[in-house]
Amino acid sequence: MWHNKIGNRTNAVTCPGCGLSCDDLRLEVSDGQLVSLENGCALARSFFDNALTPHDHDPMVNGNLASLNDAVAQSAELLRKAHAPLFAGLVTDVNGMRGALKVANRCGAILDHYNGDGLFRNIRVMQDNGWFATTFTEVRNRADLIIVVGNQCFDRFPRLIERILNPEYSLFSSASERKLILLGPWDSGSLPADTETMACTVIPVAHQQLSDATGLLRALIAGRPVNMQAFGDNTGGQLVELATQLKAAKYSVIAWSATELDFPHAELTIQGLADLIKDLNITTRSAALPLAGTLADVTSNQVCTWQLGYPLRTRLQRSYPEHDPLINRYQTLIEGKETDLLMWISSLSPRVLPPTTDSPTIVLGHPGMTFEHAPDVYIPVGVPGVDHPGHWYRSDAVCPMPLGRLRESGLPAVSQIMMLLNNKLRQTIGK
Amino acid sequence: MLIKLTGGTLYDPANAIEGKVRDIYIRDGRIVPTPPASDPVHRSYALDGKIVMAGAIDLHTHIGGGKVNIARTMLPEDHRAHVRNRTTLTRSGGGHATPSTLVAGYRYAEMGYTSCFEPAILPVNARQAHMEMADTPMIDTGGYAMLGNDDLLLQLIAEGAEQETINDYVAWTLHATQCIGIKVVNPGGINAFKFNARELDVDDLHPHYRISPREILKTLSLALNNLGVPHPLHVHASNLGVPGNFHSTLTTMDAVEGLPIHLTHVQFHSYGAEGDRKFSSSAAEIAEAVNRHPNISIDVGQIMFGQTITVSGDTMRQYANHGHAHPNKWTCMDIECDAGCGVVPFRYRDKNFVNALQWAIGLELFLMIDDPWRVFLTTDHPNGAPFTSYPHLIRLLMDRSFRNDMLSQINPDAASSSHLGTLDRVYSLYEIAIMTRAAPARILGLTDRGHLAPGAIADIAVYHQNDNPEQMFQQPMLVFKQGEVVVEEGRITRPVNGTTQVVRPDYDTGIETRLGDWFEQYHSIKLQNFKISDDEMAAGIGSPVTIHPCHGRS
Repeated sequence: MWHNKIGNRTNAVTCPGCGLSCDDLRLEVSDGQLVSLENGCALARSFFDNALTPHDHDPMVNGNLASLNDAVAQSAELLRKAHAPLFAGLVTDVNGMRGALKVANRCGAILDHYNGDGLFRNIRVMQDNGWFATTFTEVRNRADLIIVVGNQCFDRFPRLIERILNPEYSLFSSASERKLILLGPWDSGSLPADTETMACTVIPVAHQQLSDATGLLRALIAGRPVNMQAFGDNTGGQLVELATQLKAAKYSVIAWSATELDFPHAELTIQGLADLIKDLNITTRSAALPLAGTLADVTSNQVCTWQLGYPLRTRLQRSYPEHDPLINRYQTLIEGKETDLLMWISSLSPRVLPPTTDSPTIVLGHPGMTFEHAPDVYIPVGVPGVDHPGHWYRSDAVCPMPLGRLRESGLPAVSQIMMLLNNKLRQTIGK
Repeated sequence: MLIKLTGGTLYDPANAIEGKVRDIYIRDGRIVPTPPASDPVHRSYALDGKIVMAGAIDLHTHIGGGKVNIARTMLPEDHRAHVRNRTTLTRSGGGHATPSTLVAGYRYAEMGYTSCFEPAILPVNARQAHMEMADTPMIDTGGYAMLGNDDLLLQLIAEGAEQETINDYVAWTLHATQCIGIKVVNPGGINAFKFNARELDVDDLHPHYRISPREILKTLSLALNNLGVPHPLHVHASNLGVPGNFHSTLTTMDAVEGLPIHLTHVQFHSYGAEGDRKFSSSAAEIAEAVNRHPNISIDVGQIMFGQTITVSGDTMRQYANHGHAHPNKWTCMDIECDAGCGVVPFRYRDKNFVNALQWAIGLELFLMIDDPWRVFLTTDHPNGAPFTSYPHLIRLLMDRSFRNDMLSQINPDAASSSHLGTLDRVYSLYEIAIMTRAAPARILGLTDRGHLAPGAIADIAVYHQNDNPEQMFQQPMLVFKQGEVVVEEGRITRPVNGTTQVVRPDYDTGIETRLGDWFEQYHSIKLQNFKISDDEMAAGIGSPVTIHPCHGRS
């Protein structure tokens, strides 16, 4: 629930620990400390432990303690001087991103997310191709054949099987009818324990071979001749059987995490999966479940898309937005020295630290951050869902989840810092 | 502060004022009666010779929510080709078919619109729709929540739940989603497509629930009637875009047995299957039926030639039409046992027989439906065309020779198979004011806008007289929002933010026990997290609610 009031015991808490955004957590918090946590996974525990550990709250300017006013004034001064400021990280809630976009518009910033590489593997498929996608509740109730691509989804989204793939109750698809196919670089000995709750088949395929496997499935489904030599008899035979199962399934689902698919031109592998699903829908039903949302990549991208008309990797240096998914990658801009200021926004995790750069750096960061090289300005900010209420998107980009407030810390939200910055900059820039 | 608008020529159909010179007084954002002569006027505007109307209201425009953001994502080319520079007052952005939220708000205000309604809010996506609309400045907003493809309602109907239970669920949905109305899209069809059904006509049975769209229409229209919700059920009928679908549209009108419904984007539902190409106009049959059924209102969903993108909750029909995608890319989504969406870019061509006839069918509907209080000016933005084409559409309705010039340029076979050339009717300014102000306010139950009598919010558009209505409506001289001038000569001079319009019918909160069990077992979100509170609207989402009265439960 969205709430500004603080209670000790809170039910139905949304967890921003990963893109699943489980909202069934029960927390007990006393004097700002975590007393108990029910229903959370290891990521949830780590998130709430980090957020609720006491930290120093004072901003720093050039490595020295400073007042919030001075830190904001110094940030404004740096922004004022910058010709090509880069706003990156962007790990924040909806209102934090709204504020960031307002300031970016005023000072002509470039925008990219910490997880931009993973995010854009999916977005580029949307831009070129589109897809047929589905969401968690549909999968819970309808899926009878689920392919999980790669081998990291269960680590990245720990309650995936319990909450989505094999829930206790389902409207139309009984647990006994559900098949789980693991298509990825699996060792048979290393399967997650809860895959045992489902009829599970492993088809071992290396990451770089996923594209070939997808092409093979498309050809089999279209009834075209295929050459399976690259896969060997065993895996080849499994893929032939999978094609038959996909055609016979009533509602098949293919899930992947684009962040995991970290190899050159992985977006073409995703496009292949999207095309496979489109092919299947000619005769039966099938849909994609692109798993994302962790560290607010979907959140900041959604807000950027509605306010600017473009996804992230958009620059506002001229008087209007310009988008390019390759040129505006934050790592490339920093390496090429194409930016003269970095504003790093990272309010959910103390470990998402700014990259090294010669340019002045402003960090609006998790209060638990420690730095090897002190940034020019560090303003510790509140954690959404702990220090202030907010909204954040889970994986499917459809459901913005409400985040409540668990303690009174006095830490400002990113949105509040952005309002202060905007007011300061309004006096001098772009009036 | 007392503001006086002096000497303007008023077109205020809600108060039967047609082209009369009247003064208007504004105090604290509202129109007030003529004050005593002793009250000092703080500011006055000389409007001699100017046309004065209430701010326009768009009751069907897709300006917020997940499917609009998918459309933006899919068409960076649309944004590249149409940029809007930042100014000292306004933010930058762009886009023609699906503009960024800020640009949409600016453009609406620059045409004299002051209230807009998103017609297809998936309940589970309501937060996003409201957040996008909160970021659409200049206008008040509101939305219709989609029901009738959600597994919960279909299950209730299939199990023979009492109408009272359904009424409670409908009312609960309006509260939980902060909406002002309920829309049904392809009743049962979006859901049936999840079971791999590819069509579902009004009297077909759903493959799983074994209920018909007719039953869904009856149940939902009765629920809104019983609850006293002013806006009748907003219906996107079965078989959108299918040649011969006018039969489904006529059956839909009969299915509700005299209860009020609003049929939306009827142009897409007025197709016959006659002629060599098995595609023809059935606008005459539809218009005749609308004229005969006083319980029916419609909006047209006029198409205009050019590039746009179609966004719809109707996954079944959007999937079926994906072969027409231009450029060739499309996205569909099944969503949360709630509904779905489909996004298909489209380019309407004047030399294409089907597209040209679609254009003519929309205009035939406008011209053959007698009562301007029951037909609304829409393009189903962006599905028929972007909302920025409204001034052009108004000229087509008001200027017969212009219309016939346009008709002479379209595909000649389409032109000759349409009645359009024989229709003499032209709309008057008064009728335009009905269609775009008075009637939408009335059908939505908004008594505080759409007119110029004391008590109304001072949302006012002032136009220069111009023989060319397109030019006139493109660039108002002044637009007032809550008594403040926000647009001068078609340019934003004061950015403002609006509120969200909602209704709150009474209901038995005991329904939450039943809903809560369903959420616990089948949903991936908890009921508590599904509901949007007033605090959340104001402080979190950024658009406080304005509550409009219901008639009371019967």
